[in-house]
Amino acid sequence: MRIRPLRGLVALVMGCTAIASASAQDPRIPTRLDAPTQAAIFAILDSALAQGIPAEPLKEKVYEGIARGADGPRIVAAVRSLALEMSTAHKALGTVASADEIKAAASAMHAGVPAVELGKLKREGGLRRSLTLPFTVLTDIVSRGVPVQAAANAIRSLVGSGARDADINTFQRNVKVDIEQGASPAAAAETRAKGAAKPESSKPDTE
Amino acid sequence: MPEWQRSTLELIVEELQRPIRIDESFDRRVMVHVRRTYARRRRRGVAGLMASASRITHHPVWAAAVAAGIVAVATLGIVRGRQHAPVAEVGHEPVQFVLVAPTAKSVAVVGDFNDWGLNDSALVATNHEGVWSVTAPVPTGVHRYAYVVNGKDWVADPSAPRSAADDFGMPSSVLVVEGSTK
Repeated sequence: MRIRPLRGLVALVMGCTAIASASAQDPRIPTRLDAPTQAAIFAILDSALAQGIPAEPLKEKVYEGIARGADGPRIVAAVRSLALEMSTAHKALGTVASADEIKAAASAMHAGVPAVELGKLKREGGLRRSLTLPFTVLTDIVSRGVPVQAAANAIRSLVGSGARDADINTFQRNVKVDIEQGASPAAAAETRAKGAAKPESSKPDTE
Repeated sequence: MPEWQRSTLELIVEELQRPIRIDESFDRRVMVHVRRTYARRRRRGVAGLMASASRITHHPVWAAAVAAGIVAVATLGIVRGRQHAPVAEVGHEPVQFVLVAPTAKSVAVVGDFNDWGLNDSALVATNHEGVWSVTAPVPTGVHRYAYVVNGKDWVADPSAPRSAADDFGMPSSVLVVEGSTK
């Protein structure tokens, strides 16, 4: 039998598309959504899967919208916005980023952190360092009023100095308390970052 | 050697040297036996071959000890599995959610790890003098969640990082669950 490479390739692509489409049609998406909303959501999920973006956070957004009593158009808008942010985050972080990092980076972008800052952080952290928690803390301090650039600089200094997730958690708690006690958010972040950053001599060998 | 001994020895040697007469049907009977044995092994298959190839006998005491050991290991495994099952599954870590709400009548936890409480999946917290808490296994990864107070008010966890994505006008918090094997 003669194998025709082009036909094989077409069949493979069609098969992959069918699988991706089938996985987007999650039976867990509740049927209480009206037909146009369901169609719009499945289209966004299909598009996300085609781009290699994890679909689970998008589905979770649908459940959240339903649980909070949001109407169809609002749910679609939220899911579309998240898909766009995840797509941008995915491109900024590169193919080495995990699904959790993409999800956390998308949340940071939602708070106003530019994708380019997230990309810089990822490069600074190295391939083996998960930036899920640093991105989460970055989002938190920005939402508490720390200016984006000051927040990004603080997190970059922590990650660059080899601070662990536990150190970054402590940093977040301290900044939160400082702000609640009346400190300037920028001053709190800069001061606490200096204290939390590890000295050069104690940097772990991550690469 | 005395004469009587020599004569006895000669008799024995003579007997041993006598040619043995084999029955003419001997070859045929041997071959019939071989064919039957082969056919029986083929019917039994691999198990039959294994059994006939390695027939090992054990003392009953040793066999009983080995059996008891296997039962003990299996039982311990089941007990350990039962002890861990409610606390954490594979890829899950136990997380304690705590909210201080002295005036609340009820507190539940909803998040992306339980489909935001759809289909009655909300985690119901228990009250201890105004400190509400519940511990549940949560998948490793980054999650968003909130507390639902008195069945209607959604509040963020004041002790956790905030989530920026409040698309539906209600606050939520972020939880990063790391695997214990990392």
